[in-house]
Amino acid sequence: MTQVLINGFYLGAQYALVALGLTLIFALMNVLNFAHGQMYVLGGFITYAVYAQAGLPFVVALIASGLTLGVIGALIEKFLFRPVIRRSVRDESTMLLAAAIAFFFDAVILLVFGEKQRGVPKILNGVFVSGPLIMPYDRILVGVLAIALIAGFMLFMQYSKPGRAMRALAQDRMAAQLMGVNVDRYSMIGFALGAMLAGLTGGLLVAITGVNSGIGGAVSIKAFTMVMIGGAGVVGGAIAGGFILGMLESVGLTVLRSYGDVTYLVIFAALMVFLSIRPHGLMGKPWG
Amino acid sequence: MSQLQNLRLARASVFLLIVFVIVPWAIAAGGRNDLYYTLTSVALLSIASAGVWLTFYIGRINIGQGAYALMGGYVSAILVVQYGVSFWLTLPLAGLFCAAISVLIGLPILRLRGVYFAMVTLVLTEVTRLSALALPITNGAKGMVSIPLPGPIGFGGFDLVPGFATLKTPNMAFYYLSMLLMCLCFAAMYRLVHSRIGRLCQSLQQNEELASSIGVNITLLRIIAYAISSFLGGLSGAIFVGIAQSIYPSSFTVNDSVNFMLNCFLGGLGYVFGPILGTFVLYFGWDLLFQAGPYQLLIFSSLLILFMLVLPNGLLSLNPFARRKA
Amino acid sequence: MSVAAPILAVKGVTRRFGGLIAVNDVSFTVAEKQILSVIGPNGAGKSTLFKLIASFLKPTSGEVLFNGARISGLSPHIAARKGVVRTFQETTVFKAMTVRENIVIAHHLRSRAGLAGFYFGSANARADEAGFGRSADEIIDFLGLSEQRHKLASSLPHGHLRALGIGIGLATDPKLLLLDEPFAGMNHDETAKAVEMVRGVRGRGVTVVLVEHDMPAVMKISDRVVVLNFGQKIAEGTPAEIQRNDKVIEAYLGSEDAAIGL
Repeated sequence: MTQVLINGFYLGAQYALVALGLTLIFALMNVLNFAHGQMYVLGGFITYAVYAQAGLPFVVALIASGLTLGVIGALIEKFLFRPVIRRSVRDESTMLLAAAIAFFFDAVILLVFGEKQRGVPKILNGVFVSGPLIMPYDRILVGVLAIALIAGFMLFMQYSKPGRAMRALAQDRMAAQLMGVNVDRYSMIGFALGAMLAGLTGGLLVAITGVNSGIGGAVSIKAFTMVMIGGAGVVGGAIAGGFILGMLESVGLTVLRSYGDVTYLVIFAALMVFLSIRPHGLMGKPWG
Repeated sequence: MSQLQNLRLARASVFLLIVFVIVPWAIAAGGRNDLYYTLTSVALLSIASAGVWLTFYIGRINIGQGAYALMGGYVSAILVVQYGVSFWLTLPLAGLFCAAISVLIGLPILRLRGVYFAMVTLVLTEVTRLSALALPITNGAKGMVSIPLPGPIGFGGFDLVPGFATLKTPNMAFYYLSMLLMCLCFAAMYRLVHSRIGRLCQSLQQNEELASSIGVNITLLRIIAYAISSFLGGLSGAIFVGIAQSIYPSSFTVNDSVNFMLNCFLGGLGYVFGPILGTFVLYFGWDLLFQAGPYQLLIFSSLLILFMLVLPNGLLSLNPFARRKA
Repeated sequence: MSVAAPILAVKGVTRRFGGLIAVNDVSFTVAEKQILSVIGPNGAGKSTLFKLIASFLKPTSGEVLFNGARISGLSPHIAARKGVVRTFQETTVFKAMTVRENIVIAHHLRSRAGLAGFYFGSANARADEAGFGRSADEIIDFLGLSEQRHKLASSLPHGHLRALGIGIGLATDPKLLLLDEPFAGMNHDETAKAVEMVRGVRGRGVTVVLVEHDMPAVMKISDRVVVLNFGQKIAEGTPAEIQRNDKVIEAYLGSEDAAIGL
């Protein structure tokens, strides 16, 4: 059982990273980034290309993923979301733009990287064994990196100037503007940061489970689920949601294995019930 | 009758003429029987999209219609294959089943707004797909195949509508059926929007608290709208099963849910007939792009993005004659 | 004073938000066709009390009785149906409809046709529409909005929006109308007109409870005044009595409202 829990924990750490990116974008711009899963996949493929194909060190590959997605995120915010938000009458426009971007990414990924499942050579060999526990070193490393990134992100948001500006923006756009926060610049930075987190997580996970072009949508849905559990727009909520989902998935897959593919069905059904009692997730702000 | 009403009646008549007379004639003349399937799909998809439009009308973003299409399809398939129920009877049954489920689901989630509601409905589509995979009654990943074509509708030996299996071109029959239902559906929606219920929904959309304070039972109104919306989704799915003669858990996915929303949006959320236009453009657009081979999705999504940049408020916002109703 | 039962009775109403007590054991009654104002410094709990009476919030304890029957805890639309209607603090109207459409739709509670009737255009529904139209026109004239009848609500200036808000309230044929800061942001002339309008509303047989900051207007128009501070009722009485009340003066001296002048 402890094995299951530990698996759930490190899975949760990575999921939390994905959820953080999504929730940041949502908090800053009230935009549900449909393309988040695709950004994750792209990050994975970039790491694959740099590490497995070009043979550069894993860390370099990770940085490449993060930076590329960061730049892409910034460009998307500036040239696509900003004009649409400015000119549309209804909220749905941004959602549809995000959906269209998700489709676009799917197309590009398919064209550039093909349909095959890709994996990378193990970044660390060997396994840590302690009693009944078995933990491959590479998974430990990935888990540690994920937690380091989460911690880094939270420190950044808490203490750095851009971090504080973004938090102000998320809390009260009008007030932040009045205080001189450059809304445009920080929306762009925030989106870029969110995309970067997705890309980094993709890079991290490709080292463990590999990546293929079709999983973008599924990852997006998982990310939404985490945000729903923990509450949208709140950093703590994203982390909580990520860990909870990681745990539930790990436990569910083991315990319910005999019943077939029902783990996610159970999770979703429970989520619906949970949401009817607490519609805004564990820590979410009332949104309406 | 006023001049405006005359004009509307004239436009409706022209439309009906085109759909029921001119198009079949043109297809027969040009020998393009495959177009029947395309147009039937457009009709059915626009019915599902009409449901999504209705949820927009009460101020909610519904990305879960695919769930009800799938549910309706399975209900019809199971009833026909395992219980020998007539296809025609399964249509209202599928719709009612979906409406009933939507009431259960709607009660807790309809008070969520904006993105929260959207996220939950998105997840709903996935849940339905997973249920179809997991439940024994739906035959899991293998789906259900070899579903017979619709039988005849008849009384005492006389067939009002012949069994589709006996027809040379069942596609044409499906075309007429779907177009008929589409016209009925949108006529009903038109009436709704122009009645006081429409005004009540608009009040709900514009300010829920104010609507409540003037005595509008907002919970009831939302549930009714959502139930109707899901009914339409289920109906559409059930007919699709009749045409495809098969159904799988992947028959309606999250992509379809998103597409229904796109259809509404493209046509313009403020216009009752928007979904028809949006579905038509998107479906034909996608079909036409088939020529582009592997670049189909790329071009399609790029065009979509461009569209969002240029016309963030939908196609019909270009038409000076269409009045914003929502 | 008449011996008739009060139309509204607020009994020991308390409302907590987590650890914060917004309204603390407040009780008072309102007689029929009275105009009662609730005043108090900023943060005194007036808005919360208002929402509690109008059934938009449930009391943590205590109850609100309307004509002897409990309405606290009912859905807002049911409270409205019983005759307790509120207006809103911000200029809340249906912005995408015209003035006339706003008021017509607000007649909803008076309709005799049901939902099916609305849809199919039954005889009842059509009679409703005709009646509502006439009534709406009358209300529009009463409020002095005749010129704006067919203008979109979003294009109206501030003062007219407030009048429209009152019009929406009136259209429901209320027995008790709760006005949320009806004089906010108005200059001297506008306030004078608004005061007349509120008197006119009472003249139509409607009991009025209002929440306000504008002291001169409140003193001019109210039959009775209730003063809140920090969620508690600190005084109740006629305007003259309140103006002389030490506790009230003290409460206001400690806040910016002192500048408004009692």
